[in-house]
Order: sequence, then structure tokens, then C-alpha cells
Amino acid sequence: MMALQIGLLCGLVVFSLLAVLLRDILKAAISLAVASLLLGILFFRLDAPYAGAFEISVVAGLITVLFVVTIALTKAEGGVHESRAAAWIFPLFFVVFLVIDFLVMRRLIGQVASLPAPAEAGTFGQVLWKGRTFDLIAQVGVIFAGVFAVLALFRKRSKHE
Amino acid sequence: MIFLFIALPLVVAGILPLIGKISPRLLPDILANAVFAALLAIALFAGPSLIGQGAGLQPFMFLGEPLGIHLALDGFSLFMLAAISLVGLCIGLFSVDYMEHYGHKAAYYALLLIMFAGMNGLVLVTDFFQIYLFLEVAAIASYALVAYGLGHEELEASFKYLMLSAVSSAFIVISVTLLFGLTGSLDFGAVSQALRGLNQPLASGVCAALFIMGFGLKAALIPFHAWLPDAHPSAPAPISAALSGLLIKVSGIYALTRIFLKVFGLTPALSNILMILGAVSMVVAAFLALGQKDIKRMLAYSSISQVGYIVLGIGLGTPLGILGGLFHLLNHALAKSLLFLNSGSIQMAAGTRNLEEMNGLSKKMPVTAATTLVGSLSIAGVPPLNGFWSKLIIVVALVQAKRFGFALAAILASVLTLWYYLIIQRRAFFNKPDEKWRDVREAPFLMTTATVVLALLCIVIGIFFTATISTWIEPARDALAGGLQVIQSSIGIQ
Repeated sequence: MMALQIGLLCGLVVFSLLAVLLRDILKAAISLAVASLLLGILFFRLDAPYAGAFEISVVAGLITVLFVVTIALTKAEGGVHESRAAAWIFPLFFVVFLVIDFLVMRRLIGQVASLPAPAEAGTFGQVLWKGRTFDLIAQVGVIFAGVFAVLALFRKRSKHE
Repeated sequence: MIFLFIALPLVVAGILPLIGKISPRLLPDILANAVFAALLAIALFAGPSLIGQGAGLQPFMFLGEPLGIHLALDGFSLFMLAAISLVGLCIGLFSVDYMEHYGHKAAYYALLLIMFAGMNGLVLVTDFFQIYLFLEVAAIASYALVAYGLGHEELEASFKYLMLSAVSSAFIVISVTLLFGLTGSLDFGAVSQALRGLNQPLASGVCAALFIMGFGLKAALIPFHAWLPDAHPSAPAPISAALSGLLIKVSGIYALTRIFLKVFGLTPALSNILMILGAVSMVVAAFLALGQKDIKRMLAYSSISQVGYIVLGIGLGTPLGILGGLFHLLNHALAKSLLFLNSGSIQMAAGTRNLEEMNGLSKKMPVTAATTLVGSLSIAGVPPLNGFWSKLIIVVALVQAKRFGFALAAILASVLTLWYYLIIQRRAFFNKPDEKWRDVREAPFLMTTATVVLALLCIVIGIFFTATISTWIEPARDALAGGLQVIQSSIGIQ
């Protein structure tokens, strides 16, 4: 069981890395979807079915569809010249992060006691509407901000601009 | 009523694009400014009595059912709400004319209101995860607002801001997750109590370090400041004013102060870290500001430097230090917003932000020149303006706590601040007027009204500083009093 868990975590890291490093944005979007699918499975295995269902349906499903549609609607125009530094800075940063992670988090996680209460107590409705009602209002704010950002940044420019 | 601080801007933002179809300019202008005016009126007139009744701590009901919404209004959050609404109203007034040439005002005001709803929410919540959520609400709106001009420079600055902000959010979320794992709760009060009962210095130290990095990035403290000198100058002037005047303070300093003073408790080690970060930001950013030619970039570095003062005062942890820090937060919000708005007036009139290309604009733009002088002298700490008193209180608090090195650094940074603000005055406004400015006119009425109001506030608060402190700053400081005991006893102040 633990081997499967570790396998899923390794897959999550590898596909997340691919999502950042791949030059082809369609492949990068699909890598992100796979990473989020693996994360969703991990949530299920850790007894967080609501989080797992949302992760798989929204992030792996809906958002990937949005990415793929957007990519299909755009076309490449000329090459964008990136600094060569970008090709090695991220992997270097990642390796440094892994080393620090290994040194610090291993000791740290051992100290974090298990949760005093189940993470998802009560029915879905109770958690969503009574326990975390205010999160929904903030989510409305996030969605509004995203929608208006798209409206503002993809607006037709006026004659003055 | 407290809920209005979040709901009203969100609801109006939601309907603004529809209203924009009917009236693209007038109605969005009126509605957005009416929201800011209403929130300011609530904060100024209803806020103190709401704190007295303890109404902010009541659970919210909907159709007889209690909802899981718990907002807390205390002296500190009311002080922040009043500052946010006041500066917001001035920014709204300024935007009426300034944003005319950008077009799509409805979308602009919708994003601006969402950013303010996010800031108000952040100030009112009592839960770590909601801090993160409202931080994101404000941040997402601000990314779009920085890029609103759609030029190459704006888009690049917005992307850089987005990337570093994502790193900051990651630090914050990791820390919130660890805290939840340690304490089984996300509520400030419950986490605070649980942390006192736990004996896990490494785990709580890592959480504190992650919060310092996350919120330090939001507050643009050195060495987490790289995004700010690009993002703030690239945004339209009212947005630069909102970012420098408010957002870095709310999403950085407010959150740090609330978490460290009310939840973790300010230990001597934390105090030292915050003071060192504050002092380094204060001095290094002042030197960096000196070398700038772009007026908005100079103002952006100045913001980092002044945030350093605020963190130094609050990080000192004595009642007087916190009082000075909070007072400087208000004073800097007013003066820096004023200066960024004036930089927009100059850019709109003269078409440049380069200080070397400006000369003798005071003859053509007397109101802008006069209000810029007030803002500059206020931030530089020249008496009797408001900035002088807050800096004086910080320095006195440092001397009282025998932190002479930090006090000396604060005075040195103040001299440097005066130096670079005099450079702005000399290059932009003094000297012989350039022939090329013969067609330049003073900024339109509403733009100058907004800046004159802010300049008058700098003067009036400076003259009546004792009244301001007793009405707004002391209740804010007292709301944080619980977190002061540890540090007070460690440096021998009772």
C-alpha cells in the first residue's frame, strides 16, 4: 500500500515538472491534467473523497478542457526567444528544493501529530453550507476577479489607446 | 453591517459590466465612488459603536439558520477598514478622469471593487484559510489591474508580479496546512490556544518562517521585494496608489501583525527578525530610490523603505513601537497614494515619467506641485506633517527600548528619504519651465480634488495628531495588546 502511495506521489512530482518544462503547451496541459488526476486519487486514498472528486472533476477535467480549447483557438506567431538561463535555473532550483525538503520536512512531518478530528466531519452539505460558508463568498470573489480580468485584458482597445 | 464591507463591493462589481452596457462612463463612475463613500461612512460613523456592541463577533443568520460566517471587528480591523475606504474614495475620484483614456471603465471599476472587497475581507476574517482566500481575491484583481494598460511593460510587470505572488501564496498555504496539522483548527483563537499547549518549537518555527517569507513577499520587504519596483510603476496611477498605499500593507503587514501578535505571540526572536528585515528594507530601499530617474520607480522604492519603518515599529513589539508603526501605516497610505496619484497627473499632462525630462512644471501645474510637496515632506518626516510624528514615535520607542542602532538607522533613512524627495521636487517642479511644456495644463478638477483631500489630511492629521492617535491608533494598538506581553517582559518594559 505504501509503495503505491509513494508511486503516486512520484508520478505527481514528475508530471508537475513536465507541465513546467515541456515546450509544447498542449503536452504541458495534458501533463498537468495527469498530475491532478494522480493528486485526486491520492485524496481518495487519504479518505478525503470530496477533495478528490473536486480535484478530478474540476482541475483534471474542466480546467484541462478550457486549456485545450484555448490552445486550439490560438496559433503560434513567431518564436519567443527565452533566456537560456531559464532551462537550467528551474531544474537547479528544484534540486535545491528537494534537498532542503528532505532535510527539513522529514523531521518536521514526524513532529506533526495526527489530526484530533476527522478532516471531513459531517455530510458534504454540512461542511459546505454550515462549516465553510464564508469560503464560498471568497470563491465568488475569485471567480469574479478571474472573469473581469479576462474581460479587461482581452478588451478591444478604444480609439484613444 | 460589517458584512457590507465585503458584500457591497462584490455585488456592485458583479452588476457593473451590465450597467456599463447602458452607460459606459457615468454610472460606473458614480456607483464605484458611491460604494467607497458608503463604506467610509460606515467605518467612520457606525464602526466604533459596532465594536462597543461586540456585534462583529455574532454568527450570521440566514432564514433562521446560522451560517458558518464569523467576522471580527476590533480596533485594529476598524482602523484598517477606515484607511482602506478613505484612500479608496480618493482613488475612485481620481479614476473618473484619469481612466477615461483607458476605456472599459466598468471592467476597471469591477476589478478595483473586487480588489477592495478582498482587502476588506482579509481584514475581517478570523480564520487562516480565509486569510489565504481573500488574499487571492485581492491579488487576482490586482494582477489584471497592473496589466490594464495592455502595453508590453505592463504585461511583463504583471506576469512577474503574478509569479512571485504565486510563490508567496505557496509559502502561506504550506504554513496554513502545517498549522492545521499541528492544531486541528484554522480559527485564530483555537490555533493560538493550541500552540500555547504544544511543545513543538521546530514545527511552529517553520510555520512562522513560512509566514514571514509569504507575507514578506506580499509586503515587498527586502530581500522579497523584486516584483514591486516593476509592478507598481507599470500600473495605471490610481492602481499604483492602491497597491503601494494599501495592498502591500493589508496583504503583508496587516496579516503579519495579526498572525504574529494575536496568534503566535511576538517572541524576542521573532521581534529581532522583523526588526532586522524592517531596518534593512528601510535603509537599502532608500539608497536604491536615490538612483532612480523614473518618478514612479522612485516612489515604489520609497514604499519598500517606508514599509521597513512600519515593520521596524511593529516588530519592536512595545506599545509605543506598535503605536508608531500603525500610525506610520496610515500616514504612508495617505502620502504615498497622494504622490502616486500626482505622478499620474504629471504623466497625463507631460507624457513622461522621467525626472530628467521634467523641468519647471510647478508654473503649469501649481496644485499638483503643492500637493506633491506636502506628500514628499510628510513621508520624509518634516514637522508638523503627519509623517514626522509617526517617525518620531518609532524613533522614541526604539530609544526607549535601548535599540540605539535601529534608531540611528531610522534617522539615516529619514535623511535619505528627504534627499530623494527633494530630487523629485527640484527636477519635476522647480527650475526654469521648459518651452515644451507651454501647452501643459493642470490636472482636471476631480483629479486635483482627490489629491488636495489627501494633502489636507496629511496636514490636518499632523496638526491634530494627538486626536488621531487617541481616536484611531490607540484602539488599534490595544486590540493587539494580548500579543505584547512576551516581548515587553523580555526587554524590561512594563
